[in-house]
Amino acid sequence: MSLSKPVSYPFPWTPPLEIPEQWRHLRQQPILEVCLPSGDTALLVTRCADVKALFSDTRLSRNTARHPDSARISANNQLFGDANIDSDPPRYLAERSVVTRAFTARRIESLRPKVWEIANDLMDQLAAGPRPADLVSAYAFPLPIRVICHLLGVPTRDRDKFVGMVNGFMSITRLPAEEVESCRTGLSTYLTELIEAKRDHPGEDLTSHLVRISDEDQNTLSAYQLRHWVQTLLIAGYVTTATQIGVSMAMLLHRPHIVKEIQADLSLVPSAVEELMRYQVMGSSIGSLRYALEDIELSDGSVVPKGATVMLSVESNMDESVFPDPYTIDIRRKENNHLSFGSGIHYCAGAALARMELQVTYEGLLTRLPNLTLAVPGAQLRRAEGGFINGFTEVPVQW
Amino acid sequence: MLIDADRSTCVVSSLCVYRAPGVFDQDEDGHVVVVDHEPAPELHESVRRAVRGCPTQSIRITEDD
Ligand code: HEM
Ligand code: SF4
Repeated sequence: MSLSKPVSYPFPWTPPLEIPEQWRHLRQQPILEVCLPSGDTALLVTRCADVKALFSDTRLSRNTARHPDSARISANNQLFGDANIDSDPPRYLAERSVVTRAFTARRIESLRPKVWEIANDLMDQLAAGPRPADLVSAYAFPLPIRVICHLLGVPTRDRDKFVGMVNGFMSITRLPAEEVESCRTGLSTYLTELIEAKRDHPGEDLTSHLVRISDEDQNTLSAYQLRHWVQTLLIAGYVTTATQIGVSMAMLLHRPHIVKEIQADLSLVPSAVEELMRYQVMGSSIGSLRYALEDIELSDGSVVPKGATVMLSVESNMDESVFPDPYTIDIRRKENNHLSFGSGIHYCAGAALARMELQVTYEGLLTRLPNLTLAVPGAQLRRAEGGFINGFTEVPVQW
Repeated sequence: MLIDADRSTCVVSSLCVYRAPGVFDQDEDGHVVVVDHEPAPELHESVRRAVRGCPTQSIRITEDD
């Protein structure tokens, strides 16, 4: 382990559309001490093979909130840490499977026409509006929020109210603690009302389904767990996907030769989505925080000590021993088992949905607006700061 | 090539179903089901890609000698 002063994490994004220089040297050390926005120290595990193995290692617990000595992400916001929820196996797997049944390939494919309908509606409005336009506010954020609200049965009239509360919830340092707290309690009240409404008038949506399961058997899903899952889905399914749409579209538009390649052969869309998932990792590994229950030896013999808070580095998508020529965006990359959706038992429950939304987006925008370009030089794009996930605040586009 | 999968460790990523459609499917809860235990040779590469991509190593293959 390094004896030097811990480096600040998340790492700064300079320049905005390239991988930061700092990432190139990360893997020289298997474990890097980093300082989180809270001021607490965590250990970033940097090499792909180690990260992948640790995602499935039961000596790492996801119940960080149950360990008072674990590092906090933010002094203002406890984020997803909830000591009342047990996120470790074996209990957790059964609980998760109640939710993931909504995300089978068949169910995701049956949602695809609905996602196209929403995308087409947003593209109609974009095409009819003034130029240049901001792709982030006109498309990247509205698409996933409408998809997740559809999936969970959130009525259209509640959507805007809901968006404000989620944005507050995702702040790490951007908002003062009181404001984060008021968003958190507002969201919690709203979800209680939503669940009551679904209990009274069940529909075909996922919330109604989870309410039914919970009402039938509290051992499978308690009332508390029910609310926790609805909240997790709303939050995990929204800002992540919105950010990935905004940043990856900017990355593509900044490289017009790749846009042309995709336009000439739309069968490249799925592998392009995958490659941009690998390349653009939202700027941080904060989502995969764990607590070491025991000493854990890594592949080279170095040790993660018991009691340490560990971050599993998504920057390891740039590990040259696994991804040849990692700094090049290769939309035809054959073997692309990136870690942007995690791995092991917490593998992103919504990965298939996110992939589908991104596929619809690339194909939709690049065929509907074939001359789409960035309206400002890529170097002028600005990353948001002080949030859980830091995408571009605006992506001005022309067509 | 012979394929076997462990439903009890599957986390419903759906990845294998997308990578090798006629070989893998999912039950009502989304857990993996192998529908073609001995796939034709032209499918082997996509099956191997599914195995390598599975986030929980829930798929096992036995290659022919
Ligand atoms: C591009 C978009 C997305 C990215 C990059 C992403 C990334 C991730 C990552 C890295 C994890 C693992 C966290 C950990 O290991 O602790 C995760 C978990 C999760 N994601 Fe996603 N996600 C995305 C979209 C979605 C969507 C659309 C949904 C749902 C509608 C979703 C729902 C979840 C849930 C419920 C979990 C928790 C799973 C568990 O702990 O077992 N995500 N996501
Ligand atoms: S890839 Fe693995 S975890 Fe995903 S559905 Fe198939 S068997 Fe299950």
